Amino acid sequence: MFRFIVRRLLVTIPTILVVISITWVLIKLAPGNFYSGEKPLPPAIEQVIREKYGLDKPWYEQYGKTMWSIIRHLDFGTSLRYQGQSVNTIIKRSLPVSAAVGILAYLLALVVGITFGSIAALKQNSKWDYGSMALAMLGISVPNFVLGPILVLIFSLGLYWLPSSRWGGFPSKNLILPVVTLSALYMAYIARLTRAGMLEVLRSDYIRTARAKGLSEREVVIRHALRGGLMPVISYTGPALAFLLTGTVVVERIFALPGLGNYFIQASLNRDEPLIIGIVAFIAITLLLMNLLVDIAYAYLDPRVRYQ
Amino acid sequence: MATEKKPEHDDFIHIGPEMAVAEADLLPEETGRFVHGTSLWRDAWRRLLKNKLAVFGLVVVVIITISSIVGPTLIKRVFGFTPDYIPSHDLKLTRSFPPFQGPDGEFSWAHPMGTDNAGRDQLARVLQGGQISLFVGILSTLVSLLIGVSYGAIAGYVGGRVDNVMMRIVDVLYSLPYVIVVIVLLSMFRSQTPRGQLILLFIAIGSVSWLTMARIVRGQVLSLKNQEFVLAARATGVSNARIIFRHLVPNTLGPVIVYATLTIPQIMLTEAFLSFLGFGVQAPLASWGSLAADGIQNIAIFPWQLIFPGVTMALTLFSLNFLGDGLRDALDPQMRTV
Repeated sequence: MFRFIVRRLLVTIPTILVVISITWVLIKLAPGNFYSGEKPLPPAIEQVIREKYGLDKPWYEQYGKTMWSIIRHLDFGTSLRYQGQSVNTIIKRSLPVSAAVGILAYLLALVVGITFGSIAALKQNSKWDYGSMALAMLGISVPNFVLGPILVLIFSLGLYWLPSSRWGGFPSKNLILPVVTLSALYMAYIARLTRAGMLEVLRSDYIRTARAKGLSEREVVIRHALRGGLMPVISYTGPALAFLLTGTVVVERIFALPGLGNYFIQASLNRDEPLIIGIVAFIAITLLLMNLLVDIAYAYLDPRVRYQ
Repeated sequence: MATEKKPEHDDFIHIGPEMAVAEADLLPEETGRFVHGTSLWRDAWRRLLKNKLAVFGLVVVVIITISSIVGPTLIKRVFGFTPDYIPSHDLKLTRSFPPFQGPDGEFSWAHPMGTDNAGRDQLARVLQGGQISLFVGILSTLVSLLIGVSYGAIAGYVGGRVDNVMMRIVDVLYSLPYVIVVIVLLSMFRSQTPRGQLILLFIAIGSVSWLTMARIVRGQVLSLKNQEFVLAARATGVSNARIIFRHLVPNTLGPVIVYATLTIPQIMLTEAFLSFLGFGVQAPLASWGSLAADGIQNIAIFPWQLIFPGVTMALTLFSLNFLGDGLRDALDPQMRTV
């Protein structure tokens, strides 16, 4: 197990460096510059800017300098648009917003998804089953940028129950609509995965054994069936996290939340190079570490899985 | 089960288990006639037609596709305006009218989905957006099919170290936050022309969506490559490339079709997502994503600008997902017992 973790970490670090390099190359290959606008700058001013940001040096020196400060100090430099703010500060400031929305959405999706998925599996081919699976299909098919505004239309502009946008601190009413919007898709996936997993497990021998030794139905489902039936849900955590990260981009945009995703879109539109690289690297690191954690959790929960 | 048609060669490809008892079930007057099995495809088609939701999906997809293709032309014939036609009547307070309403508040058939901010007909815009959305979905799926099937088939057939390296590459690509990289790509290389941006979109989406397809095809090829028909082909001196593409790939078609059907809605969603953020399709072209992005800005006053493109898109994705699920149940032999 320990060797597996070490080996995975050894693959993870080069992967992150590759992601950063790809982003760097894309930015450098792209036509134009961050300072080039509608009108060409006077050559003297352009010269000063190029010197200030080290753009007059050869590409390998620029690349080396960027990578070195990232590897050595985890320092992504200073934002080009948010004057005087380092990329690390911006990430530190916006991360809590994204994390609050993302984690709450995932928890909500887990609770609701597993509940409905289990009910659907236990009452296969009943009204409950068809109803929750139709709802799940709806959740998969309605894009979040359609669902979000429709919820705003109903709950903010129609009923005046909830605020339509903006960040209001951690526990606040402002979080409800973004969290529901973001979690709909994962809720649907988790419900489908739970149903499929449970259906398979409920037919297996060890469930028959559990029933045969006289356990109550409640005990059988909660202690035995769920543990096996939820394996697909756990292995979905990795992809879910990736989707969650991209989902937050849209949700933060709709609800005007100052999270990582919103900064990332702004940075891409403004061509704020250090900020783009910083956020991409941060997302890649989170994603890869979470995938590793999921694999470890998987090995602990499923005795059949053994990593060498 | 028994027909008067003379059996053709193709009909013996697949004989289902139900055929084994068919002869015993024959009525006396039918004995002596040929009994032949149904082909895999006819069998699957029959199963698909039994699945009401899948049929519903198929019908909706066909209707939306056809109306997207002929709709804008038809509207131009009947009402005389194109999707980008901006009316020149006197400027009122707004040019955005609710569904079925003309400029003077009277009932009118001209704009069943209302008009947008500039007074353009929403129905025509949604149908034109459908053309782009479906086009991107289908074409990018074809690109991912082409790359994924070749990559997976080669990795699976060659095997050994080559397979190992090829699949490790897929693993690494899998773990990348690819949508984020795609956004960087699209924003950095932002094309000046809408057509250029559309081509960029194809390349970006197509080049990242082939990974699962490669895995599926590799798995299929691994289980097929040791069967007798491959050995026979090799014994008669067929080249490796020919074995892969003429003998192995056609046999993986079932899962590939199923997965491709499920890829189309995913890609359409990605396209809409990118267009919604402003990195995808650019005006004057429109896709469901970019129409929704325009609509969300006026949601408080002109909700129909968001609702119609959004609901059309959701309905299409809903139907494609049901169709894909139905196809999987119909084509996947493992699912049949369940």
